[in-house]
Amino acid sequence: MKGFDLMAILLNPEFRSMLVHGLQVTLTIAACSWLLAMALAVVLLVIRLSPSRITERVVAGYVSYHQNVPTLVQLMLWYFGISSLLPGALQGWLGEHSGEALFAIIGLGLCQAAYFSEDLRSGLRSIPAGQAEAARALGHSYIGSMRHVLMPQAVRNALPALVNHSVSLFKNSSLAMAIGAAELTHAVKEVENQSFRAFESYLLATMLYLVFSLLIMAVGAWLGQRTRVATAR
Amino acid sequence: MIAFSNVNKWYGNYHALNDINAEVKKGEVVVVCGPSGSGKSTLIRTVNRLEEIKSGELRFDGQNVHAPMSSSELNRLRSRIGFVFQSFNLFPHLSALDNVMLSPMRVRGVKRAEARDKAMQLLERVGLATKAPSYPAQLSGGQQQRVAIARALAMEPPAMLFDEPTSALDPEMVGEVLAVMRRLAEDGMTMMCVTHEMGFARDVADRVWFMDAGRILESTEPESFFRNPQHPRAKRFLSDLRSH
Amino acid sequence: MLTDVFDILRDNWLLLLVGQFPNGPLGGIACTLILSVLGIVLAFPLSVALALARLSPWRLLNWPATALVYIARGVPLLMIILWVYFLVPLLIGHNVSGFVTMLCTLVLYEGAYLAEVVRAGIEALPNGQMEAARALGHSHLGAMRLVILPQALFNMLPSMLSQFVSTIKETTLGYVINVPELTFAANQINNQLLTKPFQVFFILAIIYFVVCWSLTRAATALERRIAARRAGLAGAKPGKPAPLAVQPLSAEP
Repeated sequence: MKGFDLMAILLNPEFRSMLVHGLQVTLTIAACSWLLAMALAVVLLVIRLSPSRITERVVAGYVSYHQNVPTLVQLMLWYFGISSLLPGALQGWLGEHSGEALFAIIGLGLCQAAYFSEDLRSGLRSIPAGQAEAARALGHSYIGSMRHVLMPQAVRNALPALVNHSVSLFKNSSLAMAIGAAELTHAVKEVENQSFRAFESYLLATMLYLVFSLLIMAVGAWLGQRTRVATAR
Repeated sequence: MIAFSNVNKWYGNYHALNDINAEVKKGEVVVVCGPSGSGKSTLIRTVNRLEEIKSGELRFDGQNVHAPMSSSELNRLRSRIGFVFQSFNLFPHLSALDNVMLSPMRVRGVKRAEARDKAMQLLERVGLATKAPSYPAQLSGGQQQRVAIARALAMEPPAMLFDEPTSALDPEMVGEVLAVMRRLAEDGMTMMCVTHEMGFARDVADRVWFMDAGRILESTEPESFFRNPQHPRAKRFLSDLRSH
Repeated sequence: MLTDVFDILRDNWLLLLVGQFPNGPLGGIACTLILSVLGIVLAFPLSVALALARLSPWRLLNWPATALVYIARGVPLLMIILWVYFLVPLLIGHNVSGFVTMLCTLVLYEGAYLAEVVRAGIEALPNGQMEAARALGHSHLGAMRLVILPQALFNMLPSMLSQFVSTIKETTLGYVINVPELTFAANQINNQLLTKPFQVFFILAIIYFVVCWSLTRAATALERRIAARRAGLAGAKPGKPAPLAVQPLSAEP
């Protein structure tokens, strides 16, 4: 085995650009699916709060499916399964315009939305009943009490879980490799194949992943600190 | 101001409020007392419809509280009834000032500057102007309850309801809250208080309602209630209170 | 489409169940479940050791353990699989099968996540327990073994069960290194049929759903029983209640 030589990877422009491109794809997939997941989670929460039993069941079913089926299988179902059901022209368009990344974003976003909505729901349920009563007693409408009193507290309560699941989401972007997206793990394998330097290339990718994961956790901790003084009981 | 006519409420088979007929006149201070489970909290919570009633009529400032109405009408009605909770229920994610400012701004549409001025005045009135930027977690129980009173007053209600306002407080803080309530009464506020604080009832109340098992058994002036209770249940209640 | 699903199931149920066995290595659901069970059982002692190391005041133990846990939390499972696939043959001297690689990865990954579960369980017990044990003369490790861990582990059973569910979901990544587990088997079927990808992956999803959902239900029922039992015993017990979260610590890939 050749001696450890990190520079062989870092100095080689081709390898560097592969890794950088892979990182870009990873960050894009992670960011877009996070936004999708958050938006959808709020929608799911609102739907679930409606009095109808049917909508409650539907959302519960959605959450249950996405929490019990492995994420990789969900991505495969989207990329291999659902894409085959699409009209041919659309399939062709997707093939040319990085459909892999798109399906990864959709798959991951829908999956994490289930987790985020459960986190928000737990956050909401851990608010003492007196808060809603006080808001209504002051004359706030249902929407008003949600907006000004309940949701701010729910998000603060749910923060640790939301941060944890955000890190999960970021890590799950690597699964996109299995459906062919050219994200970081895929790039690392390519670099390894061409340079025969598994250790160095793996090390680089691992450090990149760690840096971003720890960054997300740090941001979460900072946000938690900022709001903890306000809500400590 | 607050008028109960033949009000009844059941929890399943349990008759929680039994044929309540009573009235709180404008400017009056009424204290509701009685053993636990007598229905005092339920009674006061029907006034702003945090509890529903099964039959009878309840009028607040002439308006039928339990008539079918839209949610916005109910919200508007509630905003005119001040309510102070046993567990304060301050909003923990807002400062004391924000707690007091929030509802005038969001429910009544008052402008921020005006709401702020009003809120500071109210915090001064309850003796907490210096604590305006503090969060509930940084305040003692007595301070939190005083902020809660200011919060309710911010909506300029014609009447205030107090549901055991001092029961959750450590003994040394009860006095500061009662002092605020006393001043409110002296300023002419119509008040209905569920409380165990008999000293307050004796000094401040215009009438005392004694409740047991969902009924108002006695409704007299404090002096005559404390010195000469009529109903045997009331006699027993007062002697239990005095015995410790 | 429904008839397609039944046809595929009828033609391939054996492959999905046991893979190519006996004409090849054990695969399918059997492989998935064996991998998961072995993974979590072997991860367990590692997790207890890591948890104790994280709680220990000695930096020599504490820092490496904490580092390991943060690495497992911050690095994707796929990346760890690549590392293990690369390092294990180097360390042992000869190649290993994908199954063994996957097993080692799961033991490490789940060991780290379970360590956090165990740590939470230990920290949730009232301080009085350790104090009483030490007052009676037990050593720190003795107290852990006889008093703390038995209680903590019992309380954390529901969380561990849901980590097991996570492990099952993690085995799907074995597909990437040709471990013949269920997802791999499904892909084999899809590569043969080619025309019905949706039906094949739909079946795959349903199978996982049924397995994981039943286990999660069992975990919730278990949690309820344990909570009831603790409420009964907890008459005079002060101290914070253990976190009863059944949600796994975000190990779901």
